[in-house]
This record gives sequence, C-alpha cells and structure tokens, in this order.
Amino acid sequence: MKTKHIFILFIILAIVQLCIPAQMINHRESILKEGKVFKFKTEPVDPSDPFKGKYIYLNYELRSFKVDNVVWKPSQDIYISIINDSLGFAKASAIHEEAPKNGDFVMAKVDRYSSAKEVVRFTFPFNEFYMEESKAYDAEVAHRNAQRDSLPNSTYALVYIKEGEAVLSNVFINDIPIAEFVEK
Amino acid sequence: MNSRLLKELPDLVNNDVISQEVATNIETYYQSQDSNSPNRLFVVFGVLGSLLVGLGIILILAHNWDNFSRSIKTLFAFLPLIIGQLSVAFSILKKKSKTWNEASGTFLFFTVGSSIALVSQIYNIPGNLSTYVLTWILLCAPLIYLLKSNMLAILHLVFITFYACEIGYSNYYSNETPWMYLALIAIVVPHYLQLLKYSRNDNITSIFNWLYPLSLTIVLGTFVKDYSELGFLMYILLFSVFYNLGKIPFFDSQKLRKNGYLIFGSLGIVVLMLAMSFDSFWYVEQLVFFAQESYVSLVLFIVNVLILGFAYYKKWIKSFNLFQYVFILFSLLYLGGLNQPVVGTIIVNILILALGITTVKIGADKFHFGILNYGLFIITALVVCRFFDTNMSFVIRGLLFVGVGLSFFLTNYIMLKKQKSKVEALKQ
Repeated sequence: MKTKHIFILFIILAIVQLCIPAQMINHRESILKEGKVFKFKTEPVDPSDPFKGKYIYLNYELRSFKVDNVVWKPSQDIYISIINDSLGFAKASAIHEEAPKNGDFVMAKVDRYSSAKEVVRFTFPFNEFYMEESKAYDAEVAHRNAQRDSLPNSTYALVYIKEGEAVLSNVFINDIPIAEFVEK
Repeated sequence: MNSRLLKELPDLVNNDVISQEVATNIETYYQSQDSNSPNRLFVVFGVLGSLLVGLGIILILAHNWDNFSRSIKTLFAFLPLIIGQLSVAFSILKKKSKTWNEASGTFLFFTVGSSIALVSQIYNIPGNLSTYVLTWILLCAPLIYLLKSNMLAILHLVFITFYACEIGYSNYYSNETPWMYLALIAIVVPHYLQLLKYSRNDNITSIFNWLYPLSLTIVLGTFVKDYSELGFLMYILLFSVFYNLGKIPFFDSQKLRKNGYLIFGSLGIVVLMLAMSFDSFWYVEQLVFFAQESYVSLVLFIVNVLILGFAYYKKWIKSFNLFQYVFILFSLLYLGGLNQPVVGTIIVNILILALGITTVKIGADKFHFGILNYGLFIITALVVCRFFDTNMSFVIRGLLFVGVGLSFFLTNYIMLKKQKSKVEALKQ
C-alpha cells in the first residue's frame, strides 16, 4: 500500500479515535444541560479502578422497591419512575420492564428479587464518583463523621436525568460539595 | 551465537581446521548480515520507553486533579491523544524507521485508553471494565496493519485476553461467554500469518508462537459454563490441537524453544492426564450432550481431525506418535468411561504410561537427552501420583519407584554410550 493511502486510512482512524471520547462528552453534557435534577440520598465507600483512579462508591438509600409480581431476573434492565418526596429527595414511584411514556425515570439493573419481602433490589448505573486520590478515603470518613454528629443521613448525590439516562454531577455532605467538605 | 563463532575463528585457523580464507569469508558474511538488520536494541528501548510513558500518563491522569475545571480536564483528556496521533502521522508521512513506527504506535495505544478513561472520570461514567477495554482495543486494532507493528499486535493479544477473562472469570454469577474474543483474535491472525510467511525464524515470530497458545489456554476456560466436567475434555482437545500444529514440519523443523505449540500441547496433555488418573475424577454427576461445552469440544475435535488428515495427505506423518492420537482415545473414553470410574482410571493410567514410553522413544531416536528425560519424568510423575492412592500395597509402590529410578540411570547411560561410540566412529 502507498504511503498516501496508509496516511488517509490513519486520518480516518484518528478521527474515529477522537470522536468516541468527544461523543461521550457531548452525550453527558446534553443531559447536564437539559436533564432534570434530583437528589439521591447516599452513603460513600472508597474503592479504586486501575485505569480511572480513585472513586467513591455510592450506596444509595433508594435501592429496593416493593412489588406484587415475580417477573424480575438478576441483571435485567429496569426503568424506575422518580418523584421528589416531601423533603426534596428522590424516591421511586413505580418500576417498569419497559421505558414509561411519561414522567421522569431512570434505568437501573436488578440485583435480585426477594420473595420473602416481596421487593426487587436494584443498582443505579451512577454509583461511582471520581475524586482526587488523596480525598476518596477521607470522603468516606467525612461522611461517617457527619452521620454521627448531625441529623439522619445528610449525604446526597446530585443527579441529572434525561430520558432514562443519568449523569452524576456532584456529591454533597450537609449541602457542601464533598471535595470541599473533605478539605475543611 | 555469531560472536562466539567469530571468537573461535583465530583458534580454528591456528589449529589448521579451516584456512585463513574461509575464516575471512565467515567474518565478512556475518558482518554483512549485521549491517542489514535494523538495530533491534533501539526498537526494544523505543517501545519500552513509550510503553512506560503511556502507562505513566494514565497514572498521572488517574490522580483526578480536583483543582482543574471540567473544561481543562477535558483538554487534558485529548492532549496526549493528539500528541500520539501526530507522532504516528509523522512516522507514516516521513516513512520513518521501524523504531519510530513501533514506539509512536505503542504511545498512541496508551493515550487512546487514557483519554476514554479520563472522560469517564470527568463525567463519573461508571466503569464497565470489559466494555471500556473492548472500545480501546477496537480503536487501536487498525494500527497493527497501518504501522505493521509487532508491539501493537502483542498489546492486542494481551488486552483481548484480559477482556475475555474480565467477562468470563471475574463475575462468578454472570453466565456470559466472551464470543467476541474469537472475532478479536481473528483480527490479528493475518498479521501473524505474514510473520510466519516472511520472517519465520525471527525471535519476534517465536514470541507469537508462545503468545497465541498462551492466550487461548487462558481463555478457553471462559467457555466452560454449567458443565465443568466437559472442561477437561475441551482442554485436552485444545492441547491436542497445539501438539498437532507443533508437529507440522513448518514448526517442527524449528528449534524446540521456538515451538510454543508443541511444548504447550505436550505439557498440557500430560498435566491434565495426570489430574485425571485419580479415580475420584471419574465420578461425575451427569453428562449432558447438548450444551455449549459439547459444541466447543466438537469443533475442537473436528479441527484436530482436519490437521491430522491434512498431515496424512501431505505425507508429513512418518512414524506413529501416540500424542497425536490421544484426543480420539480420550474423547471415546469420555463418552463411555464417565460414571465407570474403574474403566476411566485404568485406561488413563495406561495412556500416561504409553505417552511416557513414546516420549522416551522419540528422545532416543532423536538423540535428545532433554526429550528422553521428559519421557522419564512423565512416568515418574505417574508413579508419584499413584503413591497417594492408598489402596496400593507399599511393596508394589516401592518396587515401582525402584524400577523408575533404575530406568533413569539405564536409559541415560545407554544413550551416553551410544553417543560416545558415534563420536569415536566419526573420529576414525
């Protein structure tokens, strides 16, 4: 193959290589701009990823829903309708196998169905919040301390939702962004 | 090797083994060869350098710099990628040396990974590690051919193996099979065939001769799902494919250390057989014929038959070698012997003994002490395994040990003697 042809093919490849991350950014930005914002009560823990670095894993308080049928299988994709409760935090109003036509909803994955309690346990796909490596563990400790000296759980994640997809924008402890809270 | 020969030359001339003229000819021949080959050390260090820099960038970005705004972080996600792309574009346009191609390609490989990782980090996109690695591999695969890069092919193999393990092994509950792995490995096969065709004796080709069987051996287990009983059959069939490939004259005529297929196949068959020589192995709860595992086994069986058939057609097979047929015997045994522990155990033990003797014979025929002792080692391993079967009398076990020990002495002694007499015959 001639150098010219190799070069043209490489340029095409380079454009694709640039487009993939660009498209990821674009998609998330559109959710951040046009999506509706919800607060999810949560609890941070501190693991890490070999390529992306340290993150805090978020254990959401909202992780199960009472149901009266047993069609739910592990790893199944489900859609959860979200509304705000009286204190302004997100709560589930229904769960569906197919995307609902109206209202705000978010996709999640079934962990398991417990027949004894008749509840479906699920995991949200926005459970990783990346932090500077020195702060991730401190964040977990800070949450634990805040938990001890203030009212019931005051840690929440700010999540933008648009057509079932969600972007986790920040995590707050007592209404202060977690990165700032840790620095204090 | 060459330098040793060159050092010996003056000695050979002094002792009138070769003439001065021949010595000069040998010297000029090796010198001309040296100047033709590119500086290999330079390629190795170039690749190593960009490998480390690339990995370093991933680690630095993984720190998650809180002080930068989202837009600056996004810029950092693209900056290394663009530098990598420019360096590759430069080496293509300027037709730079192999060193440039390999080094810039390796660097670009890691910057692609780091840029996707950083974007996921900025937007807190949760890590599905296998999807991330798959995107990364696919975005870099064309570079193997555009740059004709061996290092990128190695990275591809390493990462697709990691991908398959991530899907198949990491989650105990998931029932996923990494079928995609087969397509991904098919992407690099043309590159490997080119190497085999044009540079079969190069060291880099022999690295691939080891990497392919290694990757396949690691990944085959991810195709075993519900019926692990069949896993053993699958692995025996795979090792047999390796052995039969290694016996093709193309590979067999090369040095043994370059023939990863043969060594992998032989060791794999022996180790698995030894594991199955215990009678507890043959108590199986159920044998299912219509499962993913049996289809994979069937495919591997057919591949074995095709290779053997082709070898017969080309008249490559000159003498009987039990290793090449063990897969047929074993498949029959598997179909008939499961749930009949006595039959299975006895036949496998006899098979291992026969394989050991076959290997000893091959070693003796080839005058190769390594192969001869490997054969004896197989028999010893069998005897050691039987040592743990407590229902055998101590006297019999003792006699077995003494017998094998003696055979070590005797066979090596006979070979040495034969070799000496051969050398003496040459002297006369």
